[in-house]
Amino acid sequence: MMMNEPTILLVEDNDDDAALTVMAFHRAKITNRLIRARDGVQALDYLFCRGEYAARDACDLPAVTLLDLNLPNVSGLEVLKAIRADERTKHLPIIVLTSSNEDKDRLGAYDHFANSYVVKPVDYDRFVAAAQQLCFYWMVLNAPPPRKEP
Amino acid sequence: MERTRELDAANKELEAFSYSISHDLRAPLRAIDGFSKAILDDYAEKLDQQACVYLQRVRAGIQKMSGLIDDLLSLSRISRGALRKEAINLTALARDVVAELQEGEPSRKVAVEIANGLTARGDPRLTTIVLTNLLGNAWKYTAKRPESQIAFGQENNGNETVFYVRDNGPGFDMADADKLFAPFQRLHRNSEFEGTGIGLATVQRIVSRQGGRVWAKAAVNQGATFFFTLGEMR
Repeated sequence: MMMNEPTILLVEDNDDDAALTVMAFHRAKITNRLIRARDGVQALDYLFCRGEYAARDACDLPAVTLLDLNLPNVSGLEVLKAIRADERTKHLPIIVLTSSNEDKDRLGAYDHFANSYVVKPVDYDRFVAAAQQLCFYWMVLNAPPPRKEP
Repeated sequence: MERTRELDAANKELEAFSYSISHDLRAPLRAIDGFSKAILDDYAEKLDQQACVYLQRVRAGIQKMSGLIDDLLSLSRISRGALRKEAINLTALARDVVAELQEGEPSRKVAVEIANGLTARGDPRLTTIVLTNLLGNAWKYTAKRPESQIAFGQENNGNETVFYVRDNGPGFDMADADKLFAPFQRLHRNSEFEGTGIGLATVQRIVSRQGGRVWAKAAVNQGATFFFTLGEMR
């Protein structure tokens, strides 16, 4: 079987932020396929191949997931909890990417075993730099958990 | 009991408020900054120089507003959290603060006089913020003096210990003294002395949380002295 090119899952409800993140990746010369989920339900459907993603290859998991916390319906923390509770996804690298620098949110993310917590900078130049570093680290430097065969 | 419940509710409201500031106000700012940058990068050849300058000013405005939001958040954080009451060596603390200021601007020559043996009881973290702000202001506002002078000491006013930070900066008109401690109020133009106007508001909030007071005496071109107490010494 051909190895799929590593993908990035972006869970972000705000269209502006999603467009800015895509632009930032583009500027940072990151060419990996980026999948966007607009809320927590869509993110979990994608990862667990449910609903509109029922036909997806369940082994094709994103190399890294960028998770916003402030999401409608199912919150970012609940998404994180569900990912960690499932055998298939419990080791997935999850980066919380949020505007919030509140202690409560940081603690919540680490309580639910986020791999990293990054505050989105308001300054776009710094945002692009952050996207570049994040992707270099998580897509190149970091060795992911071993791939499971179906 | 009723009063505790009301205070609890007010605290919760404040927390929700700062949370929504950190989330909801930063997101649109990021959008304005990011898309301005995109126009500058991708459409530069279609814009004349003036248009680019305007967009740079939009971006500079964003950074300023983002700084204000950060300041507002740290101000609200000071009002939350538990207060500690410990012995503090103010002399040592002030020396550390001044050493840090000197490190930030190695070329500046400032005559700093810190009295020996200044101690108080209070919250160490918050009291550090008080001294950082007051000494930082004295440092900043004496920058244009040929000989900058700063003094940190204490006076005894009856049975109350009053600490002071004195500088020989531009001072201010006592008629404006009531504006000093209000958030985002400034007595000097930003082009003269940079700042957001949150420092003294922070000092006042910290001092009054510890049961103390802060006030100032000054005259135009004759320097300023900021006095503060840290509440009961017992």
